[in-house]
Amino acid sequence: MELLVCIKQVPDDSVTVTLDANGAPKLGDITPVVNAFDTYALEMAARFKEAHGGSVTVLTIGDESVVPSLRSCLAVGADHACMLTDAVESDTQGTAHLLAKASQKAGEQPFDVIFCGSESTDDSAGQVGAQLAEELGLPVITNVLALEPINGGISAKQETEEGYRIVEAPCPCVVTIVKPDYEPRYPSIKSKMAARKMPIASLTVADVEADASKFGPDAAKVRRVSISAPAQRQGGVKIQEKEAAVAVSRAIEMMAGQKLI
Amino acid sequence: MEKQGILVYLESVDGHPIKVSLEALNAARQLAAQTDKKVAVVLVGDDSAAAIAASYGADEVLTVAADGYQADAYTAILAALYERYDVSCLLLGSTRDGKELAARVAARTGAGCISDAMSLTSDGTWIRSIYGGSLQETVSAGEKTVVTVRSGTFGKPEQDTSRTAPITAESVDNAELKAVIKEAVKELSESVNLEDAEVIVAGGRGMGSAENFQMVYELAQLLGGVVGASRPAIEDGWVPRNHQVGQSGKIVAPKLYIACGISGAMQHVSGMSGSGYIVAINKDEDAPIFDVADVGIVGNVMDILPLMIEEVKARKS
Repeated sequence: MELLVCIKQVPDDSVTVTLDANGAPKLGDITPVVNAFDTYALEMAARFKEAHGGSVTVLTIGDESVVPSLRSCLAVGADHACMLTDAVESDTQGTAHLLAKASQKAGEQPFDVIFCGSESTDDSAGQVGAQLAEELGLPVITNVLALEPINGGISAKQETEEGYRIVEAPCPCVVTIVKPDYEPRYPSIKSKMAARKMPIASLTVADVEADASKFGPDAAKVRRVSISAPAQRQGGVKIQEKEAAVAVSRAIEMMAGQKLI
Repeated sequence: MEKQGILVYLESVDGHPIKVSLEALNAARQLAAQTDKKVAVVLVGDDSAAAIAASYGADEVLTVAADGYQADAYTAILAALYERYDVSCLLLGSTRDGKELAARVAARTGAGCISDAMSLTSDGTWIRSIYGGSLQETVSAGEKTVVTVRSGTFGKPEQDTSRTAPITAESVDNAELKAVIKEAVKELSESVNLEDAEVIVAGGRGMGSAENFQMVYELAQLLGGVVGASRPAIEDGWVPRNHQVGQSGKIVAPKLYIACGISGAMQHVSGMSGSGYIVAINKDEDAPIFDVADVGIVGNVMDILPLMIEEVKARKS
């Protein structure tokens, strides 16, 4: 099957983001990485291809700065990479429109399954995958833990609040991926070297015939009014004792002093 | 339902609305008070929660027949009602299903979709967390919105069992199912009420194993509390995922929060920093959890926890 994985480059989510003097998020010093949920999506797509044949293409929206992220995907299972270079900042529905349009030009053949991470670690809206399916008029299965091919389609294990469901959809379809019970693979020196030489296709908004009224800041339905840092809590007493028993007694006294135990 | 009114999708399990759905109803009531609108609640499939919805403040209850949960069918139902009544704001609890329905209904109706709202400002804008809880943004989506409400942020509305509401059966044409749910399996038997807990004892990666994690359960039980966990402990399978606190889990504010072997990643801290009193146990003296702890014990949780359990037992007897 022909598989597409939509990825987003985000600031490393292990770093706390602060505000700069102008009150904007200070992201310049934070290493850009592929959104963690998208790395799960890519790993699942790569395993699916390895088991059942086909190819994996990664697609993202961004300028030259996203090339390293695409190369890192090429080093861990992607066969082709494609970027939509000249899109302006959009809300989730604008992004879904751009990805929908780009998905139709990103491969030589139509894609059978389009993978997205269930959410991004920066905005955490968790909307784009489902809205991409709506844009394309395709079936969607969200929060997928595992999937396998069935006659003409796929069968997926979907994570739910109480357990899981088995959901089936015909291809083409969209799936959004949560953390499965395995980790994404690491690149080898050889795969990194190979990825460096692989071509990265680039498309423009004009190439994909995106509708200018459907993306960009003016089309955005959700607008950020302001941004702030949450109230910081102050640290209290730090107990460092040689004897664990002494440390515990001190902590218990303090809790008891607050009438908490 | 009145035109341009507020609609809440109430998700129920065995005829009882789930808590985060009631939080969405509470958010809807706050919005209604600001905008002088009425709040309708829609029950799909199972209408047995109608009286409960009224008691929690629904002005009207809409019911729609459906044969069990199918995301495609429920999306079509909510989108149809959204358009039928020119709804100004549809609210849902931020469950996995709720978030999918919200995104899809917004895409179909052209509404703006706001995920995981944590509070409503007096200007009618919504506050949500970004960058793993490092920052908060205030967002507006204009006159037509779909909002999901994050668990543990709005609280349940006050219940008044004498309150009633008219019930209207709505009919919506059956939608074509593109993706079909074939089977649903329930794995998590217990319901975990972290939001209302007065004491939470939580464990993280530092607990080391499922066996060691039992100490977290023991201390929680002794203190009459509920067990919480950070993401690594969930991913390693030491504790079921409905115990997760923080980003992609619950926001909690107990009187006492004891963090055992939790380093204090922003994604966790943003879910528990509203706790009254925080005790942290971690062997790394530079662990960020100590920046938010009222009492931090630097030490191996394997040495500290057994002693703490003994001390608490001794005090109780």
